[in-house]
Amino acid sequence: MAKVVVIGGGWAGCAAAITARKAGAEVVVLEKTDMLLGLGNVGGIMRNNGRFTAAEELIALGAGDLIAITDQVTRHKNVNFPGHKHASLYDVSKVEPLVQNKLIEMGIRLKLETRAINVNKEGTKLKSIVLADETTEEGDVFIETTGSTGPMGNCLRYGNGCSMCILRCPSYGPRVSISQRAGVEDLLGQRGDESYGAYSGSCKLAKNSLGKEIVEKLDREGVVIVSIPAEEVNLKKLDYKVCQQYALKEFAENIILLDTGYAKLMTSFYPLKKLRKIPGFEFARFDDPYSGGKGNSIRYLSMAPRNNALKVDGLDNLLCAGEKSGLFVGHTEAMCTGSLAGHNSIRLYLGMPLLELPRSLVIGDLVAYANEKIKTPEGLKNRYTFSGGEYYKQMNNKGLYSTDVEAIKLRVERMGLTGILSEKIL
Amino acid sequence: MKIQDCIDAGTEYCPCYLAETGECIMCSQLQGKVFCDCINWKGVCIYQEYIWNHSRNKDNRQGEYCRILAKNNVPPTVTLLKIEVPKTLARELNQPGAYVFLRTAQDTAYFDMPISVMRADERAGTIEVAIQEKGIKTKYLRLGEAVDTADTADTADTADTVESAELAEAAGKSEQGIFLRGPYWNGVLGLKYLKSFQKGKALMIVRGIGQAPALAVAKKLLQGGNEVEVVLDEGWIKADLTMKLFQELGCSVLKKEALDLAKLTLTEEISAYIKESLLHQGVELIYSGGSELLHQGIARIIQEVRPEVSLVCSNNAQICCGEGICGSCQTRLADGSRVRRCKSQLDPIEIFGGR
Repeated sequence: MAKVVVIGGGWAGCAAAITARKAGAEVVVLEKTDMLLGLGNVGGIMRNNGRFTAAEELIALGAGDLIAITDQVTRHKNVNFPGHKHASLYDVSKVEPLVQNKLIEMGIRLKLETRAINVNKEGTKLKSIVLADETTEEGDVFIETTGSTGPMGNCLRYGNGCSMCILRCPSYGPRVSISQRAGVEDLLGQRGDESYGAYSGSCKLAKNSLGKEIVEKLDREGVVIVSIPAEEVNLKKLDYKVCQQYALKEFAENIILLDTGYAKLMTSFYPLKKLRKIPGFEFARFDDPYSGGKGNSIRYLSMAPRNNALKVDGLDNLLCAGEKSGLFVGHTEAMCTGSLAGHNSIRLYLGMPLLELPRSLVIGDLVAYANEKIKTPEGLKNRYTFSGGEYYKQMNNKGLYSTDVEAIKLRVERMGLTGILSEKIL
Repeated sequence: MKIQDCIDAGTEYCPCYLAETGECIMCSQLQGKVFCDCINWKGVCIYQEYIWNHSRNKDNRQGEYCRILAKNNVPPTVTLLKIEVPKTLARELNQPGAYVFLRTAQDTAYFDMPISVMRADERAGTIEVAIQEKGIKTKYLRLGEAVDTADTADTADTADTVESAELAEAAGKSEQGIFLRGPYWNGVLGLKYLKSFQKGKALMIVRGIGQAPALAVAKKLLQGGNEVEVVLDEGWIKADLTMKLFQELGCSVLKKEALDLAKLTLTEEISAYIKESLLHQGVELIYSGGSELLHQGIARIIQEVRPEVSLVCSNNAQICCGEGICGSCQTRLADGSRVRRCKSQLDPIEIFGGR
C-alpha cells in the first residue's frame, strides 16, 4: 500500500489527506499544533465572488467534503459587503472538530503536536520526514502543506513581531520549510515596495466586547460597516495587506465586521486606542491575534517552485499545496490545491501521468495562472484568489465566473472530470 | 541527522556575542540568513530576544572573587576545593554538566581554566571541585600548602572537617581567595538523553578525574528512578575520590580498569562487561566519564551491539573561553562541519561514532 505523508494540517493538508485517502493511500497527517486547520481556525469566508464557482467545481470534481462541512456550520449565507457578493460565513469555533472527525472516520491517521523539522532523502527522492523528537515518519509520497506564514523571526523581521496568532509558534515551535530542507530553495512573495512577505488581512474581535447594537446587527445580517472618522483613515495600510481582494478603499474608510462566530475585522491590525474611540468599540479587545492592536502574522515567505500538477520541481516524490504552492489567498484556494495534490500523490506513486486540471476550469486556471505569475518580478508582488483582485478579473474576462451550479457541473462533466478526485486508483 | 543545540539558548546569557556577529548556533536569522529555519527550537525565539535587547548581546558572565573554604590535596595529583559562592550560583551549578572557570586571585585571565563542579550545595552556597594537576594553570592553582591532606578514601568528610575560621576570613584577593566565572553547563554531552531517561538501567564508566563531574550525572539518573551501576577506574589520578559518594547516592559501584594504555583501547574485560550489560542486563544508557579514548571505545561498542542505546559523556574539549569565541574547543564532525563544543549540545555519537 502506498503511504502518503502530509506535512501540515491546515485546510490544504486536510483536503490533500482526503483525496489521497480516496485514491487508495494510507495517509498520515503531521501537524505541529493541537488543532487542524491552521489559520483556517480564524478564517470564515467562503463562496464570495469567484469562490462560489470554485467551491461548486470542487464538489463536481469529487472533493466537496470540506465544502460540505463549512456549508454545514455556515452562520450567514448570501452576505454582501464592499467588493464582495454572496459570501457564506462559517462559524470558526465549530468547524475544526468536525474536520478532525471527518478525517478520522476516513481512516486518516492524525499526528498532532508533531513538528516536522527536516527530511532524509536519497538523491532526489524523500525517504522520511524528521520530527522534532528526532524520530522519523517514512513514506512513499509526501505532500507539503506547511504554508508560508511565520514563524516568529519572520514576523519580526518583516512585520511588527509575533502578534500571538492562532499558529502559536512559541508554544508548538516554528514552521520549517520542508522543500527548502530538501534542497529546493523557497520563492518569496513581495510587497509593493519590494520588501518581503505581507500581513495577514484580518483579525478577530471578541463579540461580547462590542456594543449591543453592533452585535445584534452582526448576528442578524452577518455584516456591519461603521465609518471611520476622516482624520483616522489610513489608506496606506492597504499596501501591506496580503488580501488584495480586501485592499479596497472602503476597507480603509470603514470598519467592516463579518460574523464568523467572532467579529472578523477586515483589516490586518488596528491600534486598540484608536479602535476604542469609535462608538460601539469602547470595550473592544482582540481574540486573534491577541496582539491585533500591534500586528499580524507575516505570510508568503516560503513558496515551493512546482508544476501545474503541484509536484515540487527537483524532487521526485514531493507535492505541495495551499500557500506553499503559490501566492494564494484563502481557504477555498487551499482546499482546491490540496485536493489536487492529494489525488496526484497516488498517481505519482504508480508512475501514472499526473492530473493537471484544464484552464477551462477555474481551479486549473488559477493553478496555472499563479504559476505563470510567480515567475515574474511583478507577479511576486500580487496575490491570487478567486474572490477578488487580478485573478477574479481574469475569471470574469474569460467567462469562468458563474453562480449557476448546474452550469458549473456541466462544465466539469464536459471535460470528463466529474468525480475524478474521489476515484480510487489503487 | 545532526541536531545541534546551544547550551545557553534561552538562558539569561542568550543572545550572546555569537548572535551579534552572525554566528549563532541556533538561529538562522542570526547566522546571516534572513529567514527562519528553526529546526532546533528551544522554546524561545532568539532573534526576538536579540531585537528586543536593542540588537545587542545580553550581559555576560563577569566572574567574582570567592573564598576557598577548604582545600585538600589528594596525592599524587589532585586538589579538592570547597568554594563559597552566592546561593543562586550554587543552585545554577547544581546540575550535570555544570562547570566554572577558576584562576588564583593573583593571576591574570590567561590562567582561567574550566573545572567541573563535583557537588553543589545550594542551601549552604558552596561548590566542591576536584582539580588534577596537569599543566601550567593547574599547577598554579595548587598554591601553597594544603590545609589538610585528606585520606583519599573519605575526602568529602575531611573536606567538611577542615573548614576553619582562618579560611573563612580569607576572602577577596588573598591567597585563599579564588577568581570564579560561571555558571557554565556544557560539561556533559547528550544532556537531553540524560534528562529524559527514566525508570531504566544505566551504566556509568568513570575514570580518573572524570569521577568528579559524574556525581551530578548519577544523581540525575537516580532522580529519574533509574538503576545505576558505576564502574570506577582510578586512572591517572590514582585516587578514589567518589566510591563512597556514589554508594551514598544509591549506586552500585565496582572497580575495574577501563583502558589498556599500551593498546590505547578499552580493556578486554571492560569491553566484555559493556557488551554483556547491553545485551543481557538491559542497560539502555551509558555514561562515559573519562578521556576521549574511553568515549570512542564505548561509542564503538554501542554502535556495534545496540545502536539505539543512548551515549552520554563528559565533554573533554579544550575549553578556553567557554563563550564560543576563541575556537579552541572546535571539533570537526564526520560531515566536515565544525562545532564549538563549549556551547554545542549534540549526540556524542556524532562526535565519537565511527572514529
